[in-house]
Amino acid sequence: MRSSASILTLALMAVAAGPLATQALGQATGWVMPRTADGRPDLQGNWTNATMTPIQRPEGVGLALPVDEVERREQGRWDRIQRGAEASDPDREAPPVGGDGSTGAAGGVGGYNNFWIDAGNQVAMYNGEYRSSLIVDPPDGRYPPRTEAARARIAERRAVRRQHGQYDNPENRPLAERCILSFGSNGGPPMLPNYFYNNNYTIVQTPDHIMIMTEMVHDVRIIRIGTPNPLPGEIEPYFGDSWGHWEGDTLVVETMNYHPTQIAQVGVFAGTSKDLKVTERFTRADENTINYEFTMEDPSTWTETWSGEVPFKRLPGQVYEYACHEGNYALFNVLSGARAQERRDNGR
Amino acid sequence: MSSHRTPLLTASGASLVALLVSALVPSAAEAQIPRGADGRPDLNGLWQALGNAHWDIEPHQARAALQLQEGPLTPVPAKAVLSFGAVGSVPAGLGVVVGGEIPYLPEARARRIENQALWSERDPEIKCYLPGVPRATYMPYPFQIFQSAQAFFIAYEYASAVRNVYMEDPGPPQVDSWMGQSVGHWEGDTFVVVANGFNDQTWFDRAGNHHSYQMVVTERYTMTSPYHIMYEATIEDELTFTRPWTIRMPLYKHVAENARLGQFKCVEFVEELMYGELRKRPIGSGDGR
Amino acid sequence: MRKTSTTIVLAGLAVLVAAVPLLAHHAFGAEFDRDAPIRLQGPVVRLEWVNPHAWIHIEITKEDGTTEVWMVEGGTPNTLLRRGLRRDCLAVGTEIIVDGYQTKDHSLTRANGRDVTFTDGTKIFLGSSGTGAPYEEELLRERAAQGRC
Repeated sequence: MRSSASILTLALMAVAAGPLATQALGQATGWVMPRTADGRPDLQGNWTNATMTPIQRPEGVGLALPVDEVERREQGRWDRIQRGAEASDPDREAPPVGGDGSTGAAGGVGGYNNFWIDAGNQVAMYNGEYRSSLIVDPPDGRYPPRTEAARARIAERRAVRRQHGQYDNPENRPLAERCILSFGSNGGPPMLPNYFYNNNYTIVQTPDHIMIMTEMVHDVRIIRIGTPNPLPGEIEPYFGDSWGHWEGDTLVVETMNYHPTQIAQVGVFAGTSKDLKVTERFTRADENTINYEFTMEDPSTWTETWSGEVPFKRLPGQVYEYACHEGNYALFNVLSGARAQERRDNGR
Repeated sequence: MSSHRTPLLTASGASLVALLVSALVPSAAEAQIPRGADGRPDLNGLWQALGNAHWDIEPHQARAALQLQEGPLTPVPAKAVLSFGAVGSVPAGLGVVVGGEIPYLPEARARRIENQALWSERDPEIKCYLPGVPRATYMPYPFQIFQSAQAFFIAYEYASAVRNVYMEDPGPPQVDSWMGQSVGHWEGDTFVVVANGFNDQTWFDRAGNHHSYQMVVTERYTMTSPYHIMYEATIEDELTFTRPWTIRMPLYKHVAENARLGQFKCVEFVEELMYGELRKRPIGSGDGR
Repeated sequence: MRKTSTTIVLAGLAVLVAAVPLLAHHAFGAEFDRDAPIRLQGPVVRLEWVNPHAWIHIEITKEDGTTEVWMVEGGTPNTLLRRGLRRDCLAVGTEIIVDGYQTKDHSLTRANGRDVTFTDGTKIFLGSSGTGAPYEEELLRERAAQGRC
C-alpha cells in the first residue's frame, strides 16, 4: 500500500509553488533559481512530461482534484503495475483463437507485457494543485468548438485518406508507425505526453538558442532567441519554425509554419490551417520542475484561443537513442500482413 | 676556448625567446577565437565539412559511379545507378585518412570490396539510416553545436541525427546504438570526445568502408580560428583493422546571416524504395493507379 | 489456479487516463493475426535491443525434431534501460516461454510477446513505478539475488 504520507509531503512542499511565488518558495526552502552565465533561468537537463492526467477533462469534473481522489487513482495505477509483475502459469497454453478480448491498442492480441510501458504513474501537479486535465482554458478543460472551415478541412482530409484502405500504402499508416514522428504530440509544439512511454526531453541552452530534443524520434527543435526572421512560406518543417524571447524569467516561444502532414494527422492539430500559431511559456518553478504553458491560436479553426499547463519534471535517468526507422520491422509486418490477408481472402 | 664575443642570444636562445613571446602574445587568429564564460573555446554555431570525404575517405580517382559493373572495355555504372549519369559520378578526393590507406585486416578489406560491388543494397545512407560516427561529421549537410557550461550537443541536419556528448561518463552503454555513446572532456583548448557502444551497421563513407561493434572513436575538435575547427577522429577496432588510424579535416562555419540548420527527415523519402513492393497496388504494376 | 498473465488493456484503466488516440501507436491488431495463436518455449538465440520494438529470437524444436527460430516482439528498450537493464540481463541460451499471436503474414515466424516469462512463469523483466516503493525494492532485491533483472 502506497504511503499517503509521501503524497501529503508533496502537497505541502508544492503549496506555494508558482511563477509569482517562486521567490517566496525559494526563501522558504532555500532554493535559488539556477541561472546561466548570461543571467537567464537555466532550463537545461533531462525532463519528462509523463503523467496520468489526460489532455482533455472528463465532463463534470473540476480542474483541481482532491487529494483522496488522487490517491485512489495513483493506487489504481500502482495496483496494475504490481499485478503485471506477478508470475504467470508456466503451463499456460497459447491464447484463444479469435483473440484474447483485449481492446484499444492491444488489438485483441494482447499487445505485450506491462513491464514495457512507462505511462506515468502520477497525477499532474501544477503550482501545488492536482490537475484533472492539461487543458485549463476553456474553463471546462475541453477542446473548444471548431469553426465550419475547420470542420470542412477535417472532412476533406478524411475523404483523401479514405480513397485508400488503411493498409494500402505506407503513407496510409500513422506517422508514428512510419517512424516519422512520435505518437501523440511529443514533439509538438505543444509538447504533450503520449501516455505510453519515453516522454522525455533534453534541453540545452545558450544565449541565442534553446535546443529541445524529444526522445522519440530523436527530433530536435531549435528555438532561436531574438527578433524573428521567419522561414519563407514554402518551407514548412515538422515542428514548425520557432522564435523565442525572454519576458522576465519566462521563456516565450512562438511557432508557425507547421508541416501540412503534421497538421493533418496529429490529433491536437485537427482542422488547423496554415495560420496556426502556438505559443509556449517555460518557467523554472523549482529544482525539479519547469512549468510549461501552451496556447493554441488559429482564428480559422477555433473562435477563441485555448491553453494548457503541463508540469515538466526532472528525469532521473538518461534519454536514450530511439533509432526508430532503422529497426522498424513493424511497418513491414503490417504491410506484408495486409497483403497476406488479402491473398487469403481472395482464396489464393 | 673561443675568443669570439658571445652573441647576445644563441640560436637556440633566440628560438626559446620566440616561443615565450608567442605564448604571451596570441597570434591574430587565436586572439579572436570566441570563448565562453568558462574560458573554453566556444564551438557554438553551424558547421560543415567541405571536400569529398563523404564519397570516399581514402585518396581516390574520380570514377563513373559508386557501383560499377563490367563493361566491354572499362567498368561502367551498374544498372541501379545508371539513370543518375554524372550526378551519380564520384569526384576525385585527396583523402582524409592520415597516411592514405585504411589498415584493414584481410577479411575486412575483402568485405569493403564486396560493399562497393553491392553498394545500392548495402549503403545505409540510401535507406536514410543514421550515419554513425565519424561519418555524421562530414556528410554533405551542416550540423549545429550547442555548447553550454554543462552540455555539448550536436544536431546534424541529415536524418535529424543527434549526439548528446556527456560531460560525465555514465558507464558502459548496455545496448548498441547507431550514433554511439559519447563522453567529452577538455584538454587545453581541444575538446576530446570518446565514443563507443556502436552497432556494426554504419559505414565511414559511400565507398563501403566499415567497422565492427567494437569500434571506439576518439575525436578532437580544435578551433583554429573563429570560423574553423580542425577535426580529427581516431578509429580503434581490432576486429576490423590492424592498428588504430586517424582522419583529419577542417570544419567550416556557416556565416550567411540567415544560416540555420535545415530539416532533412528523409525517412518518408525512402518509403517507395523500401515498401513500394508491399503496396496494395505497386506503382507501375499495371493496376491503373 | 491458472493465472491470466497481465497484458496491456488500455480501455480498462481508470476514467482519468486518456483514451488511446486512434492514430497514436501502431495497433497490434494490424500486425498480428488473432486467429493464429502460438505458444513457444525454447532458448533465446539472439536479442535485438532496437526501437521501436525489441525483438527476442527464440529457437523452438518442432514435433519432427527440426528447429525453427521465431522472432518475438517486445517494447522499447529505453524504458528498461532507465530501470537498470544490462547487457547480461537476458543471456543467450536462457529458456523462455512466449504466448501470443503470429504475424498476419504467416510466411514469417514472428509473433507478439503477449506474455514472455522464464520457465518458472516469472516475467523476464519487471515494470516499475519509478517511485522506489518498498514493495518494489524488495522484489528487485529478490530478483538480483537470482541473477535476474
